[in-house]
Amino acid sequence: MPSEKVLLEILNNRFTGIVEEMGYVIHRASFTVFVKETWDFDSALLTPEGEVFCYPRNIGVTNMLGIDMGPAVRCIDHLEPGDVIVTNDPHTTRGMCTHLPDIMLFKPLFFGGKLVCFAWCFVHSSDVGGLVPGSIAPTAYDRYQEGLTIPPTKLVKAGKLNDELLRIILANCRIPEQNWGDMKALLAALNIAERRIGQVVAQYGAESVESGIRGLMNYGEHRAREILRGIPDGEYRFADYIEVDFVTKYFVRINVRVVVEQGNLLLDFTGTDTQMRAAMNLPTYGRPNQWVVLGIVNFLRTSDRALPVNRGILRSVKVHIPEGTLLNPAPFVATGVRHTTGYRVSDAVLGALSQAAPERIPAAGAGQVAIVLYSHLDSRTGGYSVNVLQPMQGGCGGRPTKDGIDGVNFSAGSLRNVPTESIELEAPIVVNRYMLADKAAAGRYRGGSGVIFEFQSLAPNAIVTARGMDRFKLRPYGRKGAHPGSLGETLVNPGTAQETNIGKIDILKLNPGDVVRITAPGGAGYGDPLDRDPAMVLTDIENGFVSEVEAADVYGVSVANGRVDAAATKVLRERLTNHPSTEEFVFGPERMEYETRLPHAIQDLVAELLAAYPAATRQFLRDRLYARIEADAKLRSQPAAEIRRGLFALLEEAMAQGKSAMAAE
Amino acid sequence: MPSYRMGIDIGGTFTDFSLLEEGTGRIRVLKTPSNPAEPEKAVFDGISRIFSEYAVRPDEIRYFIHGTTLAVNTVIQRSGAKTAFLVTKGFRDILNIGRHRIPDVFNFFTELPRPLVPRSLVFEIPERCSATGRIVRPVDREAVRAAAADMLAKGVQAIAVCFLHSYRNDENEQAARALLEADVPGLYVSLSSEIWPQMREYERGLVAVMNAHVGQKMKTYFSGLAKGVRGLGIGAHILSTKSNGGVMHVHEAGERPVDTLLSGPAAGVIGASFVGAAIGLRNLVTFDMGGTSADVAVIEGEPRYSTENTVGDFPVIMPAIDVTSIGAGGGSIAWTDSNGVLKVGPMSAGAKPGPACYGLGGIQATVTDAYVCLGIVDPKRFLGGAIDIKPELAEKSVAAIGKILGLDALESSESILRVATSQMYAALVPLLARKGISYDDFALLPFGGAGPTHGFLLAREVGIRRVVVPLHPGVLCAAGSLAADIRRDFIRTIHTTMQSDTESSVVTTMRNGLEALSREGRAWLDLQGMEFLDQRVSWSADIRYLGQSFDLTVSLDAGVLADATGAVLRRRFNEVYEQVYGYKDEAAPLEILDVRATAVGVTLKPKIESVAMRGDGKRGEATPGRRRVFLDGRYWDAQVYDRDALPSGARFKGPAIVEQYDTTTLIPHGFAVTVDRFGNLIGEAQDAI
Repeated sequence: MPSEKVLLEILNNRFTGIVEEMGYVIHRASFTVFVKETWDFDSALLTPEGEVFCYPRNIGVTNMLGIDMGPAVRCIDHLEPGDVIVTNDPHTTRGMCTHLPDIMLFKPLFFGGKLVCFAWCFVHSSDVGGLVPGSIAPTAYDRYQEGLTIPPTKLVKAGKLNDELLRIILANCRIPEQNWGDMKALLAALNIAERRIGQVVAQYGAESVESGIRGLMNYGEHRAREILRGIPDGEYRFADYIEVDFVTKYFVRINVRVVVEQGNLLLDFTGTDTQMRAAMNLPTYGRPNQWVVLGIVNFLRTSDRALPVNRGILRSVKVHIPEGTLLNPAPFVATGVRHTTGYRVSDAVLGALSQAAPERIPAAGAGQVAIVLYSHLDSRTGGYSVNVLQPMQGGCGGRPTKDGIDGVNFSAGSLRNVPTESIELEAPIVVNRYMLADKAAAGRYRGGSGVIFEFQSLAPNAIVTARGMDRFKLRPYGRKGAHPGSLGETLVNPGTAQETNIGKIDILKLNPGDVVRITAPGGAGYGDPLDRDPAMVLTDIENGFVSEVEAADVYGVSVANGRVDAAATKVLRERLTNHPSTEEFVFGPERMEYETRLPHAIQDLVAELLAAYPAATRQFLRDRLYARIEADAKLRSQPAAEIRRGLFALLEEAMAQGKSAMAAE
Repeated sequence: MPSYRMGIDIGGTFTDFSLLEEGTGRIRVLKTPSNPAEPEKAVFDGISRIFSEYAVRPDEIRYFIHGTTLAVNTVIQRSGAKTAFLVTKGFRDILNIGRHRIPDVFNFFTELPRPLVPRSLVFEIPERCSATGRIVRPVDREAVRAAAADMLAKGVQAIAVCFLHSYRNDENEQAARALLEADVPGLYVSLSSEIWPQMREYERGLVAVMNAHVGQKMKTYFSGLAKGVRGLGIGAHILSTKSNGGVMHVHEAGERPVDTLLSGPAAGVIGASFVGAAIGLRNLVTFDMGGTSADVAVIEGEPRYSTENTVGDFPVIMPAIDVTSIGAGGGSIAWTDSNGVLKVGPMSAGAKPGPACYGLGGIQATVTDAYVCLGIVDPKRFLGGAIDIKPELAEKSVAAIGKILGLDALESSESILRVATSQMYAALVPLLARKGISYDDFALLPFGGAGPTHGFLLAREVGIRRVVVPLHPGVLCAAGSLAADIRRDFIRTIHTTMQSDTESSVVTTMRNGLEALSREGRAWLDLQGMEFLDQRVSWSADIRYLGQSFDLTVSLDAGVLADATGAVLRRRFNEVYEQVYGYKDEAAPLEILDVRATAVGVTLKPKIESVAMRGDGKRGEATPGRRRVFLDGRYWDAQVYDRDALPSGARFKGPAIVEQYDTTTLIPHGFAVTVDRFGNLIGEAQDAI
């Protein structure tokens, strides 16, 4: 028998092989196109307590490492060999499921009468009923509009399929055959896992496997703590926003305080805005949810390329998330589009952490992905025909040692795009342009440039939707004196008299001949542009990302006849250094302006005061307060205690109005 | 007069020769050091050595096949021509955007592959062809001329052209070429519509860019090679191996060097399938373990092909034998992380400095050092004694690891092998699942310098019960190419939809397309000027259910297309789909994307030498001795056999070691080996493994 540390690596390799095999089984056997195209499925092995001890590296959605299955397991009274449990319920699983389309299955694996571990997997179902086909509507405001909820229930009991449950599930969705096909793929993956774990147990013995699993979790914990101990102790604060324009004109703030103490992390989200009457809520139940810790996971994995991929690495992470906020909403709010929120939580957490480890974390990238869908009336079938035109992501943030990646960012980096030739064959459109924006946020290491996609619609009654657009009003933040990223934008009929800037696309109706140009945000830069290597500036000029004027004005680089003029550059840079930009974070004019009207201190105060009111009323109250504060510069300039008194009075007034209105009704 | 076939495989470290005597099937092998600066010199020197050592005359060489990694290395090192790229206006960043996916989303510092053509050398040309193949806008001549002038000023040496929808109508690409040839004569020009006319602008454009990037260099190399070989008096056809497992004439290789990119790994798999066919084994997992990596491929009667291969970081969509890397090679380095957990690779000691035991300056322990410490490899007989192994250095390197692990040198060595093997498990098992293979009835066929050393260990870990070690595992690439056919793939994108009602027009379109490709293929075979045992053109089509974006290549015969209603075609697709994905959708309309044809000129297959029954076949007949080998936590007294002296029909049980010029085979306890009549070692697990 090999030594313990060697066995650990051997078992980790075997388990990795098994979870990845599960992933490929799901990919092959699943039915829905969405599953196959976007890899929106996943697999894992979990301890009897419900912690992930092995997670795939090369297949699946890649953001579920942090799931905690404990609450779901505790929903089941008695587990026996051959059971398979199904659930998609955020409430009873305490946020293991975060929106209803994620149908999760898990199976207890017994050997010699003893529960050794669980196998788990899920697919994102293309429909689980609800308001709209696909079950995800940004404007949904409660969970009942988002489809069928399945609390943890045995789909298979001791090897026997629960037909009655299955009939209920399938009767409540628009694509029952496809969903059943996908669930069968999940069942196949669970069975493979059972067989393979059985082989490992046969080879090494159940006891060694069990102690190996514990050893792996401890190993992960230990490696993570080591990395975190390398970060200076302290408190690091940051805030970022999502734009939920279709229900409120005020940005929705995600506020975080990261406390680092001797290898332990606390993520405190106090001050985060209230839950929304829209599908952007992230149901964490105040626990270290997979979406909340995603930034930390990626940071740890970046820091140690050989890190064991298990939830042990998160044992050193604690969270505090106040109830009634966007990140810990009351039960039964809508959560369909929680990924937009999740990306921004990462931006905020990494923004805070980067103050502690500036050399290891990039500036903000586009932080969004919008799936552009085009539907038109199919004259032959009379129905609507729907095509994915392009997933629009935008660029990465500049990095402490290198430029940001152009056109793609880490939030949705596993998605593939669609060839233009394929789009033109499938949909009645002509693509005029699909290329990088000819600009990039300046910095010692520049931001990744955004992407432009422009097409002309040819069909009558065409409709374009693009859920997930963000960073259209507030830029990705730059780091250490670099420029912030660029904003997203949608123009209809650009360059004509009818040109309109429509912002984010909700439902865009097009006439034949209309042209739409969508620009995805560009990532922010990292470091002072004056420190950029002049040769890299020259390359950017040659490649069309920087003009000679910008080179001189922003980078202080003088270029003549295709060469850097070193002497002139020196002079330019000395002159520009008189106005050094040493800002740690550069947010751009839009956010600066917003925060003059609604300073952080006021937002903090409002969040604090609102905590005393029922969660469901807070968005309404917040917007009322913000409207009054905005309009009243005098209020803002008062001493803190005065402001508090004033705001409290406003709140009481708003509540009283509401009560009397209800009484009158 | 005897006649011979000569196969040559130029690798990074060695140039391998195999000489097959056609009458007897006897193969002789030679390994010489490669000459990276002038690769053809190693070839000429080796040929001369073979002539003198084996008393072979140039006119006795009837068949001359050559494989090289020159093109693939040129792409990986980006050391080819300064290349420009002409694209449709509005699509400047085809190469920069690619297919979007970030290779490693868990690493904030990950990199996308740097394009072979910088954005500054991409020229947008106003021109347009519609999705139906109609020229909406002819090429803007002034724009091309301006681009040409700019290229001249910038010192461009080669040009690739990829316009939208040129797979359907190449008029604008041809027009651009004519203009370029007038303005910048003599530059190597590759048109995407000519190299591989398949829909998907990034992948098609990339193929043209790679071809242009390596083109001039390869053309020069191949013509120099041909001249030199002729100069040595060899009059046979001079053939080059291809990624698709076939061969072509070297003059064509100069025009389409992109076809050789993946030829190295492909030739070995062809050799393996030839061995498998000879002994009646249809289902094989091949395992090619060399110095830096271990590669696997699947053979089910025929090798599996894939259109999703990669070269360096770039996708290559032309059909190639599907070979995937699963981990460590003999030179992979063992190390421990800060928690004292043992890891192997991905860093490799390569050929220089090589494993610690080479004594060339390497100090870190490698997989090969572990073999030496455990007694698996005989220091005096490694690679026929070509490299002088210093066991004390191997031990020293492993002891350093052992100190951290708290294990002695033997235990540490074994731990290195176990970790390396479990890593291969972690890659191989999911890989087979991805291909939809349950491997219960598959045999493992190891080759390469370290394949036979590690093959049984891998088989045992994964649960494969049979292992076949071919007679010349170290030179299977060179030998495999001797069995290859003349082969070329053709494609045409037709993109048409077949609703559930009968639509004879779809079948007609397909048949017309395929017949046109067949004519092209036959004409190409005729051009080769060779005698074939048989000529055939096989057909297939890329089909999917409407709305999906992953398609399956379905092989077709005239019978399937004889049914004009398309019902037979639909049934055939449903069958294949169900086989792959486990269900089918009989009502769904089909989308036919491409039709494909493969033209094959079947060459005379070499005979395989039968190993004579030498002696009485008793154990111990071919025995240089016994050796203590440490495995599974204890010493074993292993019998050591000399491969060259092992008679067919010999039987023995593990633990045993078989030594030969080009490799060492380790057979652990629990396996029984029979030597078959071709000299292959057939290992069978004796009980549950």
